[in-house]
Amino acid sequence: MTSSRRAGRRPLSLVLLLAGTCGLLAQSAAVAKGPPVEYNRDIRPILSNNCFKCHGPDAKERQAGLRLDVREEALKPAESGRRAIVPGKLSSSNLVRRILSSRDPYRMPPPSSNKKLTAAQKELLQRWIEEGAEYQPHWSLIPPRRPALSKVADASWPRNGLDRFVLAGLESRGWKPSPEADRTTLIRRVTLDLTGLPPTPAEVNAFLADTCPDAYEHLVDRLLASPHHGERMALDWLDLARYADTHGFHLDSGRDMWRWRDWVIGAFNKNMPFDQFTIEQIAGDLLPGATLSQKVASGFNRNHMINFEGGAIPQEYHNAYVVDRVNTTTTVWLGATFACAQCHDHKYDPFTQKDYYRFYAFFYNLPENGLDGSKGNAAPFVKAPTLAQQQRLDTLAVAITQAEQRLKDPVVQKDAAEVKRVTEALAKLRQRRAEVDKQIPTTMVMQEMLQARETFLLLRGQYDKRGEKVTPAVPASLPPLPSGAPANRLGLAKWLVDRGNPLTARVAVNRFWQSFFGVGLVKTSEDFGSQGEPPSHPELLDWLAVEFVDSGWDVKHIVRLIMTSATYREASAVAPEVYARDPENRLLGRGGRIRLPAEYLRDQALAVSGLLEREVGGASVFPYQPPGLWRELTERGDSRNWSAQFYVQSHGRDLYRRGMYTFWKRTSPPPSLLTFDAPDRESCTVRRSRTNTPLQALVLMNDPTYVEASRKLAERLMKEAKTTDERIVLALRLTTARKPSAEELAVLRRVYEQQLAVYRKDHQAALKLLGVGESKRDEKLDAAELASWAVIANVVLNLDETVTTG
Amino acid sequence: MNLDREYRLLFTRRQLFGRAAAGIGTVALASLLNDRLFAAGAGAAPATHFAAKAKRVIYLFMSGGPSHIDLFDYKPKLKDYHGTELPASVRMGQRVTGMTAGQKSFPCVAPMFKFAQHGKCGAWVSELLPNIASVVDDLAIVKSLHTEAINHDPAITCIQTGHQLPGRPSLGAWLSYGLGNESQSLPAFVVMISQGSGNKTDQPLFSRLWGAGFLPSEHQGVRFRSGSGDPVLYLSNPPGLDDATRRRMLDGVGQLNKLASRSFGDPEINTRIAQYEMASRMQSSVPELTDLSKESKKTLEMYGVDETGRDGGFARNCLLARRMAERGVRFVQLFHRGWDQHSSLPGQIRGQCRDVDRASAALVRDLKQRGMLDDTLVIWGGEFGRTVYSQGALTKTDYGRDHHGRCFTLWLAGGGIKGGISYGETDDYCYNIVKDPVHIHDFNATLLHCLGLDHTKLTFKFQGRDFRLTDVHGNVVKELLA
Repeated sequence: MTSSRRAGRRPLSLVLLLAGTCGLLAQSAAVAKGPPVEYNRDIRPILSNNCFKCHGPDAKERQAGLRLDVREEALKPAESGRRAIVPGKLSSSNLVRRILSSRDPYRMPPPSSNKKLTAAQKELLQRWIEEGAEYQPHWSLIPPRRPALSKVADASWPRNGLDRFVLAGLESRGWKPSPEADRTTLIRRVTLDLTGLPPTPAEVNAFLADTCPDAYEHLVDRLLASPHHGERMALDWLDLARYADTHGFHLDSGRDMWRWRDWVIGAFNKNMPFDQFTIEQIAGDLLPGATLSQKVASGFNRNHMINFEGGAIPQEYHNAYVVDRVNTTTTVWLGATFACAQCHDHKYDPFTQKDYYRFYAFFYNLPENGLDGSKGNAAPFVKAPTLAQQQRLDTLAVAITQAEQRLKDPVVQKDAAEVKRVTEALAKLRQRRAEVDKQIPTTMVMQEMLQARETFLLLRGQYDKRGEKVTPAVPASLPPLPSGAPANRLGLAKWLVDRGNPLTARVAVNRFWQSFFGVGLVKTSEDFGSQGEPPSHPELLDWLAVEFVDSGWDVKHIVRLIMTSATYREASAVAPEVYARDPENRLLGRGGRIRLPAEYLRDQALAVSGLLEREVGGASVFPYQPPGLWRELTERGDSRNWSAQFYVQSHGRDLYRRGMYTFWKRTSPPPSLLTFDAPDRESCTVRRSRTNTPLQALVLMNDPTYVEASRKLAERLMKEAKTTDERIVLALRLTTARKPSAEELAVLRRVYEQQLAVYRKDHQAALKLLGVGESKRDEKLDAAELASWAVIANVVLNLDETVTTG
Repeated sequence: MNLDREYRLLFTRRQLFGRAAAGIGTVALASLLNDRLFAAGAGAAPATHFAAKAKRVIYLFMSGGPSHIDLFDYKPKLKDYHGTELPASVRMGQRVTGMTAGQKSFPCVAPMFKFAQHGKCGAWVSELLPNIASVVDDLAIVKSLHTEAINHDPAITCIQTGHQLPGRPSLGAWLSYGLGNESQSLPAFVVMISQGSGNKTDQPLFSRLWGAGFLPSEHQGVRFRSGSGDPVLYLSNPPGLDDATRRRMLDGVGQLNKLASRSFGDPEINTRIAQYEMASRMQSSVPELTDLSKESKKTLEMYGVDETGRDGGFARNCLLARRMAERGVRFVQLFHRGWDQHSSLPGQIRGQCRDVDRASAALVRDLKQRGMLDDTLVIWGGEFGRTVYSQGALTKTDYGRDHHGRCFTLWLAGGGIKGGISYGETDDYCYNIVKDPVHIHDFNATLLHCLGLDHTKLTFKFQGRDFRLTDVHGNVVKELLA
């Protein structure tokens, strides 16, 4: 914890690490005499959190004519004539007098702010002024450059560049990385992380038997090529894009955006470069000769909630939609809390309210209605046939043309019987085409009006209080649009992925990191601004960001780098005291051990039981849900006039699709998924919470999905293994990939035998348990035995190890 | 300070678990972990900013917007104005909803119902609410609530989350986050819904109204449901799996998890072990809670618990709310649907009042006789009021009223609130506030105050900003405090 031992260039990352690891300790670490005070590391967080609100970028809120976020302003005399900061001169700096004062309204920050400086913070501010009060641009606004790889003592540990930065961080604390996880743990962890599904025992065996030195790399490559990898990557994106199957406001009726959802899965599976991925989603419709697929992609910014509540005022909601687009786009690509500038200049970051509405202008020019969506998708939308539908249409088109040609043939025209036959056939073909046509889903898209709407700054963010007229532009504190780029959404999209943009690549790689380690290098993955947390490993973040851009925005390349690193492969089993020194694992001294996201928990249970339907994409489905949940919230006399008002449960294979395909009603999201922290998808979510509650236990024990999965898993155990012990081993291998210890075996054997005695006596109870779920029971298997194995299966599905990545 | 709160949430508790797991047995561990059930993480220590008058809240939410004009805000002069055009000097060009914006005429409507004064305090109450009228000396009737919203979705979202657009934590989630859980076996924040008999095109509800917003999702409200299914989702064991089997399974899971916690230093495993025990405890505590058979006949009658369900389940929910309050549930939120009387107001509102009058009053009286009213805050009201002018045609027997956010009435009782008072005044048209306006933010600030929380200090940092239930607004209405 003593940063004073190190001199030179290292302390920066060290103190940042401390700051990231444990906010409270950071202050005491930084105050130690030694390394010079650094604005970004030491001072900005203090000023931002305590002073900028009244003495920062927001001109309207600024008090006493004092602005502290810009050096030349801070050195000027304030309204009082006194100077807050006189570099090198503590006694002349009014700021010092004010923060040290014990008199109440005089002391800064004032009591009304509910903020208080610690002694350490006061000392840092003084040292900073003493040393000349130098400022630095905020770290995230300086374009990343590829840093040199860190020097490390243990050169044998790193497997790639990434590991060098991690190891340097650990070594600077005198810590060592954990040893590599055993291969069983590794294949389970990497398979779950890359596909959201567990490995099969055969896959585990094959990996264990693979003596090739790069067996693990081959495994990663196989998983990256799986169609389920696209699903896994898409799930995080759906949270960001606030994807749902209903409009969200008021009656919350249905919409169709699953063609867009499937586009995302496909893009990840094709490894579409992230710049193209960005451009098509922001402005696919504006690309020259835009394809249907590119138009579908532009639906990203139509996923926001839409209203048609009777009596609502259209302009008010139209404004809400545009605001949502601006906030989501800036959060997802820039990691910016731009939303703060909707009503006033940003209080912490250099974004003015005018910046906000100039950005708003990019998204204001759609031919859309303020109130819409009562009959499904809101304009503008396009028909987006699936591949199968398109093939069918193409075939029909050929047949129809042939029939039409035939009728024009003079020879045929003389044959009345033939004319009648062909005419009838043609009618049938056309009818079939109409039928297919009716089935084709639509999907909402972006579109530009020929005559652009005029955009105005909205005073205090109110939809009906117009201020000055503005034209589209990117925030003035960020680089300008690339030369030649038009001032429209397409130009904006290109700007987002321009090499000069300091944020996009960092924000994106940080989220990939978060996906696989649970916490980003920047923990506040939604906020790279002044109030966000600085990165735990700033150089690593920049190295990855530059690598991302240099690779041609190759997503799989970055994911592969992470997955094949020594850091990712570390064991997660550590002694409690090792755990306690870094509970959030910000220094990455051990492997991630993360409770599976809601959807993958369900997928895993379905997969190990053999119930899972692996089809990728398609319309959303309606698995088991306790009856009445929607009705209690929304039923009314006219409910039949709207869609998505009644939950009509699916049957057959649609009961067993992956969790991400469950119909997402915003005002009543799927309850079991919600219990495991799935968001409601009302707005952009960058980080899900990861809670641990008793309601989760109830879901895993009693939700029919899991009870049925337990029964099917039991059937599998009975069919695929012979003895009691073999069956227990298989149960553990399916769910945790590993074999049980003798102790575990003994526990489960005991539970099984006791349970069997119960069900032997009470056959009816066994049959009742086996009756849960719509899948057929294998009647050849003894009911008492099967029910007892279902109990064991349920135990195994509830293990901590099963629900975490390990 | 927020950082401190987060720090406690993240580290201290977990370290405690870590040590506990190594040092003591499961029973002691489980008791240590008790207060972490659901939502104690952030409320590990008593976290009030000053002494609390109320320990818990029962919020009877009347969804749809009850007519303050026909129920509480008595304006004798309206009789004279009946059928006359609402003067432009009163309306002042204020925006109205799209449903009446096109109306050519805005005729004032006097209520069809008789008003009388009640109690020592002499509060005027409509004949539709005889039982509530009988407890007015315990109520603080606020007639000057106001909101900017004029439509249901934004208005109900605003009163429940402090913001018209979705994304913010609900009131109950804030309290769960701020105060933690005092129950050993029940959630801190419970939601119950009943269906109004008055209106067949009820306004919908949304799970965001009890959602956690950007707070950790463990703070979201837990829905308790009536009817034949589980009162709490997935509470019951599946058919064919009895309690003894469940116990055996839990022991199996627990033993294996304990073995795992030996190999991983991860204290989350111990938390999970404890949560399974909590789940098991809930399996018995919830049925015990929802079983009304031990309640006396007198009590059931006082509430008017109606097994036919004609009241949409409201009375039963009120009685359950009292039982939850007794068992330490921090925040019980009832929603009763059906208060959106755009047309056929007289008939519909009769039905709605019949649904809720008896049980609302019984709850206040029952809490009082059990000595619980002092530290239980009861709230009754909707998301906005209704217009003095008729929506649609005004006939001898019928009228409707549109949404009105410029003023509406809500009452509070118990927990730190002065009884027998009326606060705030509207003009003779029940249209504008003329004295002591109370914005929703002021109301929420006052509510938090009763619970010992300073609304400016109950914050959560999200997207770089310290968010509050009251945003940057709100003043405690001191005059309402006992």
